[in-house]
Amino acid sequence: MNRLEDELKRALERVQPPAGFAERVLARARAEAEKPARSRRWLGLFGLGLAGAGSLRWAAACALCVVLAASGVIYERDMQRRRGEEAKDQVMLALRITGSKLQIAEQSLKELDSTSQPQQ
Amino acid sequence: MKRIGIIIALLFAVQLPAAAQDWDPGGALKKLSAKASKAIDVTLDQSMLQFAGAFLDSKDPDQVQAKKIISNMKGIYVHSFEFEKAGEYSEDDLTPLRAPLKEPVWSRIVNVRSKHDGQNVEVYFKKEDGKFTGLVVIATEPTELTFVDIIGPINPEDFKRLGGQFGIPKVEIDQDPPGKKGETK
Repeated sequence: MNRLEDELKRALERVQPPAGFAERVLARARAEAEKPARSRRWLGLFGLGLAGAGSLRWAAACALCVVLAASGVIYERDMQRRRGEEAKDQVMLALRITGSKLQIAEQSLKELDSTSQPQQ
Repeated sequence: MKRIGIIIALLFAVQLPAAAQDWDPGGALKKLSAKASKAIDVTLDQSMLQFAGAFLDSKDPDQVQAKKIISNMKGIYVHSFEFEKAGEYSEDDLTPLRAPLKEPVWSRIVNVRSKHDGQNVEVYFKKEDGKFTGLVVIATEPTELTFVDIIGPINPEDFKRLGGQFGIPKVEIDQDPPGKKGETK
């Protein structure tokens, strides 16, 4: 039992910190507080650094402009394609209608030819 | 002021070819459209034809042929009307459509009139400098009327080649002024 008590005493014995420990802890804490946030570090990669919220807003506005311009181009292309398809359908419809009427004319002419041929 | 006048005149000159048909059947067609229960209007000027041509599929034989036909066309105008009952339109409605289709510029190649089913088809070709430059088809039935106006160089051989496509028959067309060939009553 005495041995156990001795070991506990030794383990829980008050030990003095090494010299300058408190200063080092405080310095580390200050350094951590001054480090940029993780998201800001990402902006740093694009050269925006810690310039602040203004740069962030400009970046967002530029990105929005790019997205809007790209959407506009895609929409315009899609509209162009649709108009082209409609025009194509109209061409085919016009030719089909014309063809069907000419077909009627030809059939009638054939019937006329066959009836006007002398019977042998 | 004079300059403005010239600019206006030029603008009109630019606009005119777009509507460079021999006549304006618009009024007569509008009247028919008002009487019809169903109307199909296809209006394709040269720019629209070129635009449509870019979308025709080069793998589809019908569309390949269509592209060939429209390549030199200046306009295709098709108006088809369906009427609820017979007698809703009269010959008077057709008179303005036929009025300008006169010799020597226009030649009626076919005039088929069927008494038993009331189906009539008139085919007119426009000839300029020995070349066909226009086609008009007026097809009537008791409850249906179709008016086709094609502007531009038309090669009868193209129509022959179209046999079996779009239902277009191999129409035999004389190169000489045909008079009233094929007219039947």
